[in-house]
Amino acid sequence: MTALLEVKDLTISFPQAQGEPVVAVDGVSFRVSAGEVLALVGESGCGKSLTGLALPGLLPAAARLGATSEIRFKGTDISRLSERELRNYRGRRIAMVFQDPLTSLNPVMRVGQQIIEAIQAHRQVGRAEARARAIELLSEVGIADPGERVDSYPHQLSGGMRQRVMIAIALAGEPDLLVADEPTTALDVTVQAQILELLDRLRAARGMAVLLITHDLGIVAGRADRVMVMYAGRMAETASTAALFAAPAHPYTRGLFASIPRLSGEGGRLPSIPGTVPRPDQWPTGCRFNPRCPVVIPICREQQPGLDAIASGHRVACWVAAKTAAKTAR
Amino acid sequence: MKLQTKVGLGLLGLLALLAMVGPFVTVDPDAQLDLLHGTLQPPSLSHLLGTDEFSRDVLARLAHGAGISLGVGLIAVVVAALLGMAIGLWAGDSEGMAGKMLRRVINLGLAIPRIVVLLVLLSAIGAVPIWLLAVVLGMTGWPAMARLVRGETLRLRTAQYVSAAQALGATRARILWRDILPGALPPLLVAATLGIADAMLLEAGLSFLGLGAPPPAASWGGMLLESRSVMAVAPWMVLAPGLALVAATSAATLLGDALRRRLQPDVT
Repeated sequence: MTALLEVKDLTISFPQAQGEPVVAVDGVSFRVSAGEVLALVGESGCGKSLTGLALPGLLPAAARLGATSEIRFKGTDISRLSERELRNYRGRRIAMVFQDPLTSLNPVMRVGQQIIEAIQAHRQVGRAEARARAIELLSEVGIADPGERVDSYPHQLSGGMRQRVMIAIALAGEPDLLVADEPTTALDVTVQAQILELLDRLRAARGMAVLLITHDLGIVAGRADRVMVMYAGRMAETASTAALFAAPAHPYTRGLFASIPRLSGEGGRLPSIPGTVPRPDQWPTGCRFNPRCPVVIPICREQQPGLDAIASGHRVACWVAAKTAAKTAR
Repeated sequence: MKLQTKVGLGLLGLLALLAMVGPFVTVDPDAQLDLLHGTLQPPSLSHLLGTDEFSRDVLARLAHGAGISLGVGLIAVVVAALLGMAIGLWAGDSEGMAGKMLRRVINLGLAIPRIVVLLVLLSAIGAVPIWLLAVVLGMTGWPAMARLVRGETLRLRTAQYVSAAQALGATRARILWRDILPGALPPLLVAATLGIADAMLLEAGLSFLGLGAPPPAASWGGMLLESRSVMAVAPWMVLAPGLALVAATSAATLLGDALRRRLQPDVT
């Protein structure tokens, strides 16, 4: 498969009035192939949302991209384009769906009008045609009575319907890549499943790639082709979904798996990873997970581990995991 | 509907009636002088509010003045709101130097008292037609509106639906026009309604100082000026325009508050 998107050494930092700049994302590289679903998993504050925002150039004004960072879309580096040039990519090639459908829609504009404007942002289409297309899109994202809903205001729709509208808006530009940042976090569990199913169906129907950003490994299973786990601004582990679920190698990934509630097994307290992600200005030296790691060894506190392959397509940034893998290989 | 709102609407209705119907049912105050019964007649059945020192009917003049006062208030506020909206949007959306400079300009505009600017301007220009007075009033009223719109712009610029529109490839102009401006309109509408009262009072004040509409225009402020010398013998000449001004500004203020309650329920 050819890479649709190739991110190389993505580093995002925030200069401070005094002292060192705060580095929020540190040297993250990945590829997304056409039609693939890549999940980006991590706790709040690990840099996953910033990574998503960086793709269409929507980082906050204070953020600085690293000098060697590249974001290649179909081979073109789009990380340094002007606003005007980026507009050709936003919506048309890379579209975004945000976490909270409540606040992502303009509250004083009918949803149909918002879809129409998304259509007309990229193509010269007449009003009647754009409206017909908007109704089509609403029906494609599974909204009943699209002909009536097109004239609704956002507050007249439920959370799940609003997220469907957001997806319809994102589809309006017929993007090659959809970046979905926590698309289901604000929704009920049953609605979550429907939205994920919808994303999956659209991906298959349109051959659209999806970057699914989430903190919930549970919604990754069965939806994503590959998974990347981020911790404290760095890539901790990346593998195919099957490999990751079968044999998570990084202690952090294992901790995430352990804290998913299960139906089987005895009851009792759900295990959790002690502590929280440190703030970007307080990252420890060595492996950034070392203060919370259950299997920490001395080198973890001194040197940062590289992202090494332990199996084909399975790479992990962990001294312990690398050692174990080397032993097994021998 | 609250009592205050009803009172406001009632006062506004009365004034509008006075301004629109008054000139047709009363005598023309300039053409028809009641010299037969003498000047400065107290209120009577033939002159409900009495006559002035030229024996002109005060009610008729008041009716003409109502049109001037309300018209000036409206024009001034529309000019101020449009200017304030444009400058406020621009200031709120500009980053770096441009944004800082615009903020300073707005603050400067707020710091200089409006009446001083108007006095200097009007004494320099001399007598101006009434519509130009309204426009000049509006051009000194924009800073308050601009500050308001700038604040709303700054607030809405970080709203997620603005990011979402950006992510769709919307242009800056479209985001300002379609996503940010509609959100900033309610507070602007409230401020504009309240601003009508300010503009009417300023116009009356300027006319009272002789810098407003030149005679024989029947501006309420001008009527107050004329009544000054005969206040002791003809108090109705003070009371009529004075109470009319109170009624008009109260109506604007009450309606502005009603709008605020309606459009910004979270603001108390």
